[in-house]
Amino acid sequence: MSGVGAQIPVVSCQNLSHRYGPVEVLSDISLDFYQGQIHAIIGENGAGKSTLMKILAGHLRPTSGILTFDGQQVTFSSPYQAEERGIVLVHQEILLAPHLTVAQNIFLGREIRRFLAVNDAEMNAKTVRVLKDLEADIAPDDLVENLSIAQRQLVQIARALLLPQRLVIFDEPTASLTPMETDALLKLIVKIKASGVAILYISHRLPEVKLVADRVSVLRDGKLVESRSAAGLEPVDMARMMVGRDMAQLYPEKILPLLRKMAMDVDGFTVPGFVDAASFRVGFGEIVGFAGLIGAGRTELFEGLARLRPSRGNASLKGIAFQSSPKAVMESGFVYLSEDRKGKGLLLSQPLGTNLTLAALEKFQVWRVIDRPKEAAALSQAFDDFDIRAKSSDMVAGQLSGGNQQKLFLAKMMLMTPDVIVIDEPTRGVDIGAKQQIYRFIAKLAEGGKAVVVISSEMPEIIGLCHRVYVMRSGRIVAEINQDSMDEESIVVHATGAVKAVFSAVCV
Amino acid sequence: MKKLMIGLAALSLAAGLGVASAEDQKLTVAVSIPAADHGWTGGVVYHATRAAKLLEAAHPGLKIIIKTSPDGASQASALEDLTTQGINALVVLPHNSDELTGPIKKVKSKGVFITVVDRALSDPTINDLYVAGNNPELGRVAGQYMKEKLGKADIVVIRGLPIVIDEERQKGFDDAIKGSDIKVLDKQFGNWSRDDAFKVMQDYLTKFAKIDAVWCQDDDMAVGVLEAIKQSKRTDVKLVIGGAGMKDMIKKVADGDAMMPVNVLYPPAMVASALEMTVSGLYDKVPVRGKYILDATLVTKENAKEFYFPDSPF
Amino acid sequence: MTVMTKTRARFNLKAAAPFVALFVLIALGAFVHPKFLTFDNLVQNVATRTSFIAIIAIGATFVMASGGLDLSVGSIAAFVAGVMLIYLKSGGPEAGVGMIALAIGLAILVGAACGLANGLITTVGKIEPFIVTLGTMVILRSLFTYLANGGSISISPDLKDIYAPVYSGTFVGVPIPVLTVLAVAAVAAFLLYRTVFGRHVIAVGSNEDVARYSGIAVNRVKLWTYIIQGICVGIAITLYVPRLGSANSATGLFWELQAITAVVIGGTLLKGGTGRIAGTVAGAFLLEVIGNILTLSNVNVYLIGAVQGTIIIIAMLVQRSLMRKS
Repeated sequence: MSGVGAQIPVVSCQNLSHRYGPVEVLSDISLDFYQGQIHAIIGENGAGKSTLMKILAGHLRPTSGILTFDGQQVTFSSPYQAEERGIVLVHQEILLAPHLTVAQNIFLGREIRRFLAVNDAEMNAKTVRVLKDLEADIAPDDLVENLSIAQRQLVQIARALLLPQRLVIFDEPTASLTPMETDALLKLIVKIKASGVAILYISHRLPEVKLVADRVSVLRDGKLVESRSAAGLEPVDMARMMVGRDMAQLYPEKILPLLRKMAMDVDGFTVPGFVDAASFRVGFGEIVGFAGLIGAGRTELFEGLARLRPSRGNASLKGIAFQSSPKAVMESGFVYLSEDRKGKGLLLSQPLGTNLTLAALEKFQVWRVIDRPKEAAALSQAFDDFDIRAKSSDMVAGQLSGGNQQKLFLAKMMLMTPDVIVIDEPTRGVDIGAKQQIYRFIAKLAEGGKAVVVISSEMPEIIGLCHRVYVMRSGRIVAEINQDSMDEESIVVHATGAVKAVFSAVCV
Repeated sequence: MKKLMIGLAALSLAAGLGVASAEDQKLTVAVSIPAADHGWTGGVVYHATRAAKLLEAAHPGLKIIIKTSPDGASQASALEDLTTQGINALVVLPHNSDELTGPIKKVKSKGVFITVVDRALSDPTINDLYVAGNNPELGRVAGQYMKEKLGKADIVVIRGLPIVIDEERQKGFDDAIKGSDIKVLDKQFGNWSRDDAFKVMQDYLTKFAKIDAVWCQDDDMAVGVLEAIKQSKRTDVKLVIGGAGMKDMIKKVADGDAMMPVNVLYPPAMVASALEMTVSGLYDKVPVRGKYILDATLVTKENAKEFYFPDSPF
Repeated sequence: MTVMTKTRARFNLKAAAPFVALFVLIALGAFVHPKFLTFDNLVQNVATRTSFIAIIAIGATFVMASGGLDLSVGSIAAFVAGVMLIYLKSGGPEAGVGMIALAIGLAILVGAACGLANGLITTVGKIEPFIVTLGTMVILRSLFTYLANGGSISISPDLKDIYAPVYSGTFVGVPIPVLTVLAVAAVAAFLLYRTVFGRHVIAVGSNEDVARYSGIAVNRVKLWTYIIQGICVGIAITLYVPRLGSANSATGLFWELQAITAVVIGGTLLKGGTGRIAGTVAGAFLLEVIGNILTLSNVNVYLIGAVQGTIIIIAMLVQRSLMRKS
């Protein structure tokens, strides 16, 4: 299946290097991308994947090295030049205008016109077609601001797919997608490949890589450590190559709590427009998963409990009814860590210390005056406890990698000394090394007697981590699955409402 | 023109005696003036309102609508609204000539009697009656007084804003001191504001070691100038001349203030005169058409009482 | 394995940038006129008359750091001055120091009340602060005109002479308004940098959602920034009134623009999330120094506006390029 030897690569890089100031982030990379081939590039955060991708897509110019296109040497001075040649980058970050419709976003900057006016009818029709290929349930005239993160990701992919393509670069395209959506996207990628396009696929999800990739290249610390055919390569091998050592088991051992004392008890809880009469319980020492498709109401359920949304119904925490303000709920021992770490979790433009103590600032004050030494001590304590890696303590949160941001976010909420911790998508955009650390930390919390709720769209995460899973569909809790009967298929059946499992490996 | 001031006094007398003309003819007069955005326009609003009350009392059938507008554009729309209500005469103090000549011409085409106050229109054939103060004369009288009083002196000038009124006053002043030993050290804009004039005067006092006299184009700015001199404790400034006849300054003149012995008149009461003339034209069918330019009277200690309106806001 | 570099002691270019711009300007002024660099000019005159805008701009720093905007400060200033002067006039000829003290209290109270109104309409009414304060700007300006009967309000010369030293007097050689600015700035800096409230202001300004998800009562924080702004206007007016003993419709005109400019020159971002008190004071002073230099120079009077605008833009370029370097 891999590229034919005599073929000229669509894009090829030779001895590519890039440095930011004195720091070399990419050194001496030589790789070829052939048409009809899915070439996966894997590596931990900071390994240089995104720099390489930016160079290929014309966002950056390499410090040294050569780029060729169809055998001809090229230099791109802007992403537009790369796009003109058919090199399309599907960004991981959402770059859409929230107040425009889906179709308007997809055609932004290349609107179809009829005389002077914009031809909305045709753009909507084309949008419907491409969204159907992606099996996305999105209408062309939906406003982007009303879409979930996963749906926005799909719109972004749709936008890229409407360009003429020679090389398509996918950067973590499935990071926020549900298994169903992932499935559809992977099928589509295979279809694009079959039409004679070269594909560069960047992902943390190694099973996906194994599923679709023809060739796998591994970057570590800016260097190419391995480039080989994907045949016979198992996820565990890939992980080993990425981190440069044997990956111990990703998920920690599950220790079942002996005493199931109730931490929270929710009965007929409704978040108007999102959740209808949800009932569930979480015990101390337990890790409870919440699975479901995007838009099933999981996030909204817990935002409702945290009083971040209007809600009604019975819910008690340690036997006492939930407080009525976000602050009071947090102080009574219930914290919710949003899935939207950058938009709702951390102040990206502020220093790490400010972020760390923001929620628990009351504990760092005397007469409303902030106790700075105490704050500084808490920061270095958090650095040690959570293994936060920052180049200096006066960096701003936005400069941290995804994994370190998530650890800082955890540290911030743990300062509230909560009894119930709800973590929404704990490892989104987090590299595999940090992922493992976060899982251990969650397990340790439960061992220490805390109640933990994990909301996740990653099936393996739910199954690997949780003692018990609730599955939500269309605003209702439709199933409770115990440890013994927990597997991907049963979860997906409940999440989708399908009688028979439709989830299957991608057919090639 | 003292006659006008006397005319106004006669009007008050007539109103007081209740000698209203027998006719109860229903007539409506609109008064369109700028909103009170500084002291002088505040005076205009005051005098227009006062005269309207007196006139309405004298003529039972008369209705006077006073409309103030913050800028030229809204004054133009206000004129349209007023015309729709049906008016017989319009007394207007336009924000500026260019913007309002057209709208006023439109009002005129409906057969309305037009009285323009203070600021002339680009097309002088539109107005039936024009009543105005004399801007070049205001500058000339001040310059003349300075020349006669001081003979040889170094002076500073604080101008208003770069618009026609300012230029006319400045030109009158410059013409009056031409060829004399009055030397103008500096001219800067004080934006007809007390606070800005205060700043400019402070900086003048820093910039020039000796200043004999100050001419500022209106009394609002004179307030700032006097305070700046007072705070600097400088004794070289012997004379400050303002203009327009603000009551606080007229009082200083009447009280024989050493630094401010005179003032030059440019009374906001001119709007009242214009209104009175317009109304008497309508009722008594006296021909009042034409151009009436008020003198820029030099107010001195002797005649100050005649020009002191303690109730006026200006 | 945490790498930490202690950089606290490093010279903070970001915070120093407006001061560098100010220093350059003052150096320039020294060439323009020999008396520019005198205590009488720079402190007694320029710094003293900067005091109103500086104090108002300190308040604006809180509003803008929290992501808000207050266009009504100039009108609040006029309204507060009007209320204060009418109160002082009501005392008649016997009015003295006691009455002035009460009037000062009244001014601060009325200022705070105006801020409260702005804050409540913005937060409870959920309306853009731009529109709310544009509305209150027009309302309060009109209320002042009503109080002044369209003209000006003045107190008696005797009372003015008693009150005047608050503007023109000095304490250990330093003008009282300058000392007031320093005191207000010190309190404001403490409030913004050292207290829980200040931290919350920055948090709300940099991301309202994060603040809400962190349990911060976002509306209460915003409300207080408007109240602080109102109090600052009140304090500024207690220094303004003794200068001329009067207020008229030109009082406070365009002060909102000057205050916002001072805040931005000082390094506070319009979009919120930062607040630089010392920078704001430097920014206000810089604006006034530009005017002073131009009056002292012999620039053509018609071109002063052009030169003024150019200098402000150059000052911003100097300042922003320094900020980017750090």
